[in-house]
Amino acid sequence: MENTQSYFETWLKAQEKLFDGLIENTKRTQQLFINQQYPGFSGDAGGFSNPYSSWMSAVMKSLSEPGINNQVIKDNLSRIFGGSNAYTKLYEVWLPLMKAAQERSVNPEAYKEYIDPSKYKELIDKVFGFDSEATKLMLNQAVQFLELLSGSGQQFTAPWVNAMKESLGAFPQLAQGHPESFMNMFHSMFNAFDNTVGKVFHVPPVGRDREKLELILRCFDDLSVYAAKNTEYQHTIYITGLTAMDKVVERLAEKITSGEEIKQFDEFFDIWIDTSEQAYYKLFKTEEFAKLQGELLDTSLDVKAHFFKLMESHLSDLPIALRSEMDDLYKTVYDLKKSVKKLEKQLKENAQ
Amino acid sequence: MKAPFLSFDAQSLIKELGDFNTKFIKGVGALTEIDEIDVGTAPKELIYAEDKLKLYRYSRNDPNTCSTPVLIVYALVNRQYMLDLQPDRSMIRNMLDHGLDVFIIDWGYPSKVDMYLGLDDYVNGYIDNCVDVVRDIAQSEQVNLMGICQGGTFSMMYSALNPDKVKNLITLVAPVDFSTNDALLFNWSKYLNIDALVESYQVIPGDFMNGGFLMLMPFNLNIRKYVDMLDVIEDKEKLLNFLRMEKWIFDSPGQAGACIREFIKYCYQENRLAKGELMLGDKLVDLRNITMPLLNIYASGDHLVPPAAIKPLNDLVGSQDKTLYEFKGGHIGVFVGSKSQKELAPAISQWLHDRDSAPESVAETAEESESAGIETAPEEAPESTSKKPGRRKA
Repeated sequence: MENTQSYFETWLKAQEKLFDGLIENTKRTQQLFINQQYPGFSGDAGGFSNPYSSWMSAVMKSLSEPGINNQVIKDNLSRIFGGSNAYTKLYEVWLPLMKAAQERSVNPEAYKEYIDPSKYKELIDKVFGFDSEATKLMLNQAVQFLELLSGSGQQFTAPWVNAMKESLGAFPQLAQGHPESFMNMFHSMFNAFDNTVGKVFHVPPVGRDREKLELILRCFDDLSVYAAKNTEYQHTIYITGLTAMDKVVERLAEKITSGEEIKQFDEFFDIWIDTSEQAYYKLFKTEEFAKLQGELLDTSLDVKAHFFKLMESHLSDLPIALRSEMDDLYKTVYDLKKSVKKLEKQLKENAQ
Repeated sequence: MKAPFLSFDAQSLIKELGDFNTKFIKGVGALTEIDEIDVGTAPKELIYAEDKLKLYRYSRNDPNTCSTPVLIVYALVNRQYMLDLQPDRSMIRNMLDHGLDVFIIDWGYPSKVDMYLGLDDYVNGYIDNCVDVVRDIAQSEQVNLMGICQGGTFSMMYSALNPDKVKNLITLVAPVDFSTNDALLFNWSKYLNIDALVESYQVIPGDFMNGGFLMLMPFNLNIRKYVDMLDVIEDKEKLLNFLRMEKWIFDSPGQAGACIREFIKYCYQENRLAKGELMLGDKLVDLRNITMPLLNIYASGDHLVPPAAIKPLNDLVGSQDKTLYEFKGGHIGVFVGSKSQKELAPAISQWLHDRDSAPESVAETAEESESAGIETAPEEAPESTSKKPGRRKA
């Protein structure tokens, strides 16, 4: 009887474990696909994009798994995702305007109060591939490095300051005829010297390290110039995007005035694409934009050039071929190939 | 202006978005079922290779009716299989069907070892070697040179330096006069620090070039194209057609540093070719030395190489027999559009056939071309002309 009871208990416990596991897996799946802040079940259409985005992220992650060998398919899925993401983002941007339009007439001049500029900025970022996080990260690193440098400076002066304070404290004792205070002053100054200037005698030769330091500082300098130029460039793009949105609303209003109705989001999407494309084409055609774009490229290439030099400087001691060395080799190969081909051609012509 | 009430229906909009996402999800499924995207399937034979370059001859089932072979020189910035993207949209197959003996240069994918290759190497080196091979294999003293886009510019340079080797020259959407600002690339190139770019990259990556091309129409090329694609995604054939084009668009080779530096600097920025100041090696490229018949084709809606950059060639060459042909379409449509297959390939073929025999009077040639519907308007018609050349409205 006891064995039967323990058997049933074991079986029951196994069932409990199985159901606990199922519940746990279901919760994990839900978390994967449903944003915990998703208000979708309350009927808010604006929250619709959240599970959709989560689902797409899951799909895109799976593309990195073996199984889809075709790179063109993978790349295309990624671009389709980008396109549909932009489509959905535009929907999110436009939704408040639509809601307001349902309640009352919409004034094209006042539509901006319904549009969230941060969401629109995200949409423009997607179209033009701007990544503000990357630039922020690089600038943060630059700032940290500079703080470290200035911290080092403070460390250099601090012992001297402390030594001066101690020396000042020793003067009264000296005046009272305590000769040992001289020794204290001497020790204090010596320690200050040893902790600061004295370290110079222990550092490696200044030449290459100094070069590296200068290159690092140059890189960060170039980076800040690039960031400034990039900001100017992005600002131009964003302003044009907002101007385009103004024109979109105007076009919508004109259509309605002339008796047409905008019944489908697709129609709005087409208007937005066409109007934006025209607005940006107008910008792109200007000399100012061409010049700005050229300057932006220049500043980015400066960063790249000095960064590569820095890398070469760091790697020069390793048993690998550096880029500058390979460049020489490629030039030699090119010159030799050219000579050989010329000689072969001459031989062939002579043989004929 | 106050807009009247906008009749948006929240429920229908949500349904529309839902339908869109349903299409998208189905599309993901359709895409994952595709294993291979085949392009450039017309049979061909490798007949010559040099460094990264390969020269192919397309296979024929029947003898060619045009004795002079055609050597196609494609641009460096994209892959040449665009001309044979799929069987029903293949200029190559079309030309073969019309009796031409077709050869094509595959430039390959340059690597860092190619960084010092310049214009002289491509034109007087590779193209010249390929021309000699084609002449040898086809047993022909001369070739018909057909250059596409940048390849057309190279072909002009080659023909100006080696007019004796070229029987007829065809340039397809090939820029010669870069002083125009009608297209964004021309405008942007003037402010491009190409020295710094080449110094940095040595071989300019294909992705960099693609980024520039996509910026020409960012909304259409980055978003609308992929949203619209969802309408055809359930049709496997249409989906494959789309993917073949995508494959080509993003299959951009790197650009050898020296060559692109010279091309941008000497052509885009200094316009030396049109001005008659371009030196290749120790030779001056004088377009007036182009005296063979010329068929210069431009696309009226070309946003990459505008007509203003192409048309001046007819005024710069020394040819008497020269034709300016307008194709109503865009830069890509001129190769793969269905209209192109029906119109352009047959016209090119006829034009070449008409000029295949021993040199005739210009007027007789023009008359035959007229029957194919091609305008031939020589600047100086000989007095023996019995019929005036017709004028084709493209």
